[in-house]
Formats: sequence, structure tokens, C-alpha cells
Amino acid sequence: MATGTDQVVGLGLVALSLIIFTYYTAWVILLPFIDSQHVIHKYFLPRAYAIAIPLAAGHLLLLFVGIFITYVMLKNQNDTKKTQ
Amino acid sequence: MTKLAQWLWALALLGSTWAALTMGALGLELPSSCREVLWPLPAYLLVSAGCYALGTVGYRVATFHDCEDAARELQSQIQEARADLTRRGLRF
Repeated sequence: MATGTDQVVGLGLVALSLIIFTYYTAWVILLPFIDSQHVIHKYFLPRAYAIAIPLAAGHLLLLFVGIFITYVMLKNQNDTKKTQ
Repeated sequence: MTKLAQWLWALALLGSTWAALTMGALGLELPSSCREVLWPLPAYLLVSAGCYALGTVGYRVATFHDCEDAARELQSQIQEARADLTRRGLRF
């Protein structure tokens, strides 16, 4: 069965994704229709960041995946050399 | 048509619609707030897909369960196979 930690981590991931989705939807979809003098604009970064942040996050993710794959492959190569 | 082709067609259709609307190729005069929503739309779709993926993984982590019946069935099948193989002269 899923233990307590699993449930906490899983529900935390669900909550995180819901928070990100709600905030991003409000930022990108709803904000242009709200008057630009409204107080709510204080709680959001300028609009260019709505693209820049996901782009940077995606690049970081790809970078880390690449580093991980390189590390694992190099390690495997060394291991097979040792056994031969 | 394969699933891949379907997805590619849908993406191409959506992408060309988006490009046409953003570049103003159709000659439509959209209100400025609509245009503000339109240009980050691909990023928005990507982020939504990412959120959905993260949520699915989280939900499955929170609710996964052991398949006890299947484990019992598998154990009994292993026993059966061992007995059968021992009868035919295989030693473990």
C-alpha cells in the first residue's frame, strides 16, 4: 500500500501542479481582461516573464536530464571496461 | 492514420491557426486584450500539459496499491512450476 510519506508526496505534487496551473491561468489568460490600473497587477510579474520563466525552466530540465544521461553512460562505460 | 500522424496533424493545424492569428494574416482586427492572450498561448498549453503530467504522477503516487491477489496467484504458479519441474528431474 501507499505509505504515509507516499501520500504526502503525491498529494503535494497534485497541490503544486494545481497551484501552478491556477496562477499561470490567472496570469496569462485572465490578466489582459482586467483593467491595467487594478490592484491585482501588483501580484504578477511583467508579461514577458510568462514566457521567459517556463522557457528557462524547460532549458534547466533538459540540461539536468542531459547531465544525468551523460553521467550514467560514462559510468556504465567505465564499469564494462573494468570487467573486461 | 496512426496516433502519431493524428497528433502531428492536430498540432500543425493549431500551430498554423495560431501563427495566422498572431501575424494578423487573416486581416482580423482583434481587440488588444485578445492579442495579449493569443501570443503566449503555446507556452500556456505547454505549461498546462506539464501541470497535468505532474498532477497525474502525484495522484498515482498517492493512490498506488499492492496487488495482493496477483502476488498470491503468481506465488502459487511458481510453486506449481517448481513441483512440475522437480517431477521431471530438475534439481534447484
